[in-house]
Amino acid sequence: MDFSYKEKGLIASLGVTLLVFGWYFYGSFTNLKLNPEPPGIVEIIILIVWIAVLESIIQAFVSFKNKSQLADERDKLIEKISYRYSYWVLSACIWFFMGHILLNAWFDHLPILTTPGGMFHLLLLFFVLAEVTHFLTQLYYYRKGL
Amino acid sequence: MSQQTLAEKVGVTRQTIIAIEKDKYSPSLEVAFKICIEFSVPLEAVFNYK
Repeated sequence: MDFSYKEKGLIASLGVTLLVFGWYFYGSFTNLKLNPEPPGIVEIIILIVWIAVLESIIQAFVSFKNKSQLADERDKLIEKISYRYSYWVLSACIWFFMGHILLNAWFDHLPILTTPGGMFHLLLLFFVLAEVTHFLTQLYYYRKGL
Repeated sequence: MSQQTLAEKVGVTRQTIIAIEKDKYSPSLEVAFKICIEFSVPLEAVFNYK
């Protein structure tokens, strides 16, 4: 299967996001009962900086041989479509979370939805899900075509 | 003319030219006209609607 440089960059970014956040969420959710408070600002900033640096390195490495790095009309159209899908995923997650807050009795036995740390991690997970949707949708349309 | 050369003249990436050739992308009118101008042929000679 022959991937373009753009697709390789997307796969690399998706991999970095899944690896780093997968490791982060695994640690956070398994220790939720021991550590119910949300993480500090410094921890979150370090995590986001790590992601940004890793993605920049990968993008620079993947596009090293690619002469044309500017997005053309097809790239912009695929990006717009993928943002639409990631918006819907994020909206659905936020609506679910709002529904939980309003109807607290449904999930009050789950620490992930009742502790401040759990709720923080869950909201962060929603953003990551939206980002993953963004990457996957782009890959789908680059493969399938418009 | 190579795909890269055509892409540079028309203002898109080589991958977009490949996608057009494989019928995986319908370009905008602007790009379609630019392609036809490059080959000095009418629009109907290059693109058809189905």
